[in-house]
Amino acid sequence: MSLAVQVVFTGLSAGGVYGLVAIGHSLIYRLTGIVYFALGDLIALGAFVTLLVAAGTQPLTQETVSGGRMALGVVAGLLTCVLVGAAGYFAVVQPYIGRSAIGWVAGTLALGFAIHAVLDAAFSRPAYVFPDPIPFRHVGHDGLVTILGAQIHVRSFAVIGVAVLVAAAASWVLQRTWFGRSLRAIADDADGAAVVGISVERTRALAFGLAGAIAALAVIVAAPGAPFETGSGTLLGLKGLVAAVLVRFGGLWSAFAAGLALGVVEAALGTGLLGHLPGLAAYRELIPLLVAIILLAVRPLQTREVVE
Amino acid sequence: MSAHATAIRTGTALREAATSAREGWSDTATAGGVAVIAAVVAPFVLGGLIADDTLAGGAYLALAATGLALCVGLAGVPSLAQGAFVGTGAFVAAHVLRHTQLTGELCALIGAIAAAALGTAAGFAVRSLDSVRVAVGTWLLTWLVALALGTLPWLSGGAQGLVVPTRRLFGLHPTPLVHYELGVMLTGLCALALVALRRGPFGLDLAAASQNRGAAAALGVPMERLRVAAFAASAFVGGLAGGLLVQLDIVADPTAYGPLLSFELLVAVLVGGAVAALGPSVGVIVLGLISLAARALGALAGVSAARFQPMLEALLLLAVLTTGGHAFVPAAIRAARRFRPARERASRRAAATGKPSRAELLRAEGLVKRFGPVSAVDGVSLELEPGTVTGLVGPNGSGKTTVLRLLSGTLPADEGIIGLGGRDLTGLPAAARVQAGLVRTLQSRPLFAELTVLEHALVGANRRRRYGGAVRTLVSTPLFRAENGLAEARAFAALEAVGLAEEADRPASELTGSGRERLMIAAALATNPAVLLVDEPSAGAAPEDLELLRTILTRLKAEGFAVLLVEHNLALVHAVADRVLTLELGRVASRDTDAGL
Repeated sequence: MSLAVQVVFTGLSAGGVYGLVAIGHSLIYRLTGIVYFALGDLIALGAFVTLLVAAGTQPLTQETVSGGRMALGVVAGLLTCVLVGAAGYFAVVQPYIGRSAIGWVAGTLALGFAIHAVLDAAFSRPAYVFPDPIPFRHVGHDGLVTILGAQIHVRSFAVIGVAVLVAAAASWVLQRTWFGRSLRAIADDADGAAVVGISVERTRALAFGLAGAIAALAVIVAAPGAPFETGSGTLLGLKGLVAAVLVRFGGLWSAFAAGLALGVVEAALGTGLLGHLPGLAAYRELIPLLVAIILLAVRPLQTREVVE
Repeated sequence: MSAHATAIRTGTALREAATSAREGWSDTATAGGVAVIAAVVAPFVLGGLIADDTLAGGAYLALAATGLALCVGLAGVPSLAQGAFVGTGAFVAAHVLRHTQLTGELCALIGAIAAAALGTAAGFAVRSLDSVRVAVGTWLLTWLVALALGTLPWLSGGAQGLVVPTRRLFGLHPTPLVHYELGVMLTGLCALALVALRRGPFGLDLAAASQNRGAAAALGVPMERLRVAAFAASAFVGGLAGGLLVQLDIVADPTAYGPLLSFELLVAVLVGGAVAALGPSVGVIVLGLISLAARALGALAGVSAARFQPMLEALLLLAVLTTGGHAFVPAAIRAARRFRPARERASRRAAATGKPSRAELLRAEGLVKRFGPVSAVDGVSLELEPGTVTGLVGPNGSGKTTVLRLLSGTLPADEGIIGLGGRDLTGLPAAARVQAGLVRTLQSRPLFAELTVLEHALVGANRRRRYGGAVRTLVSTPLFRAENGLAEARAFAALEAVGLAEEADRPASELTGSGRERLMIAAALATNPAVLLVDEPSAGAAPEDLELLRTILTRLKAEGFAVLLVEHNLALVHAVADRVLTLELGRVASRDTDAGL
């Protein structure tokens, strides 16, 4: 029982981040019909800019960062995400939409690898401890509470909470604001949206920026829990893509739910399905990937028909 | 006597082969040959400037990239899985080397076969997906293999990898120089194969499929089979490179075959040029220069070169993409052509007649197609007799195009049966219906943007080839070459039937709207059908074009084709149709059998 509780909380806090990345992938796919392969590295960029502004590239202990500098760091990180994400849209996506798939595939991959390499050059240690925006270690027993016999990190609650809040905010923006209505109009019919006076390019570019920023926010909250590497973002981008594929780039909440489910399944597999099949633990990342590939192949297309 | 006749026939065949080889020889081929010879002697000339094992590693990378060009250049599919195929070949070969006493080349071959099996499975999985899903699927596959190598010690030997015993390669002691020359030779062979395939029916079909899926499907190009074949071949070559690479490195490193390798191979192909056979190799050489630059930068900044290399590669690719995607080798060829225009090809004459091979009745009964609650086609029955034109008219949204798609097989019918002659076509896919003699044209569309007028008709003529497979193309069998002439004659005859024979060598993109409509009819005619379904041929036609269309359709009728004409221009319909069916809301509202209303 305690193991199951542990799995659920660990899984949900990892899955919350996956879910936000999945929302980003899903939104971008519906807006433009492409997949932004640079999304994960964009998220890492946001997180590392936050680290740079808040603490520099030096080793740090979690006490060394003041609240004001941390806030400044978060703002700088998210802004970088928006700017680079939007610039990336104009540079490597917009010229190829509907024309050359190889163009945007290669372009977004190149952008991702370029960001990753810049991070590698600037942050040369294998892994970084992130400053803690909220001092969870003062809560409970050194940041842990016991629920139904399971030791849960207090941070998990915050990560899950922030993820749900950000998803809810994104949903509100999509449903209630002029920007959200423009996005939905473009997703339905880009030409039609342009005819009624929506600036399609600017709206899409902003969405590309925000897609990275919302996931980066969750990463910044989650990162202090474990060492964060320059390559961690790439892996998050992949997990989010897997979740988005599982729901065929569906709506916002289904993408988020898929992310949560992926997190829990990974956690459950990681314990060897709660200890019943210990051999499965090594396959915790492989099985969801394989399932996603198979589903991608066998399920019919949701949007545009291929022939004609 | 018979031995003598055989000798004469063999002699004639050899002379023909030599002649066609001479005709096919070009400046580009000379340049390619010089490049390969330069690569062979490079280690002796460079004299230790670059270490032999670095050169050998580069040669195997060039081999893997040339394999990828099969998918990216020929099939136009954005495959991101080549790194996974190289890794599969590498680790399978490593395991075989460790557990058997087989020679090095056999172990590499086994690795290549394993990679080809994975490639076939991957190609099968993405056979009918759009490019977005192909990119996503192959990207996930690359990660699947990379993560499997990273997390499963029984597979990858853990963090330190699998140490591989050294074996002789083709009886030679496997020095880095032997590896290098082997890599260059295999890359050269693979590039030659690429050229042969691109010029043959296989390459033409792939080009058509990648430039316009809809039109290729309508002409019966078996796109799914082609894509599986392209993936399998590309994976085989990648796996072979991997299986040889581990023997050069003496260790199979689980971190070496990840997404970064897939990306680097894609960069090599796109930077060098996906459609030029030696483009991928040039791309690998450029990557080698980049790695030198990265080392210099790394020394300046005091960090490892590995941190700069991917960044420089990404920037190079972005630069090539933003300058319009003009890769190095095709750009160089274009520049060279400006000084020496390509030789005129010998003129050809049409030998075959344009008559249908068989006169058969097409019968469709009770066709129904529902989209959700709407019945787009609701119980349509029709018969198309040889030597008649049947007009199909009706307001927009009455279901005309849906009927066409149900008949041609690009859309499965919910109910109803379709038969041609004595054969039941119900449920057969479009490609099989084209084989059976039922073909359609598409409504005014840009066709295959980069093919010439003749090549369009050849895509149609390929459907009647029996000896045009990839393997026969590669070894250029006598049957294959004899059939080349036939296919070209049939394509020419089809072009003459629509008045486009004079334009045969022009790019199709230069034709007028009406010319493209007629070209689509010619491509359909070249499949040698019994029944032609023609969709809106008058779209965008000027009055004089209408007159020409009328003549063409009347002639097709006289030659015995059964034609279904979907048209908005009622004057044209009434001028040529023997019967007119009017559709309203998915049903046949009237059947007018008066000729020439």
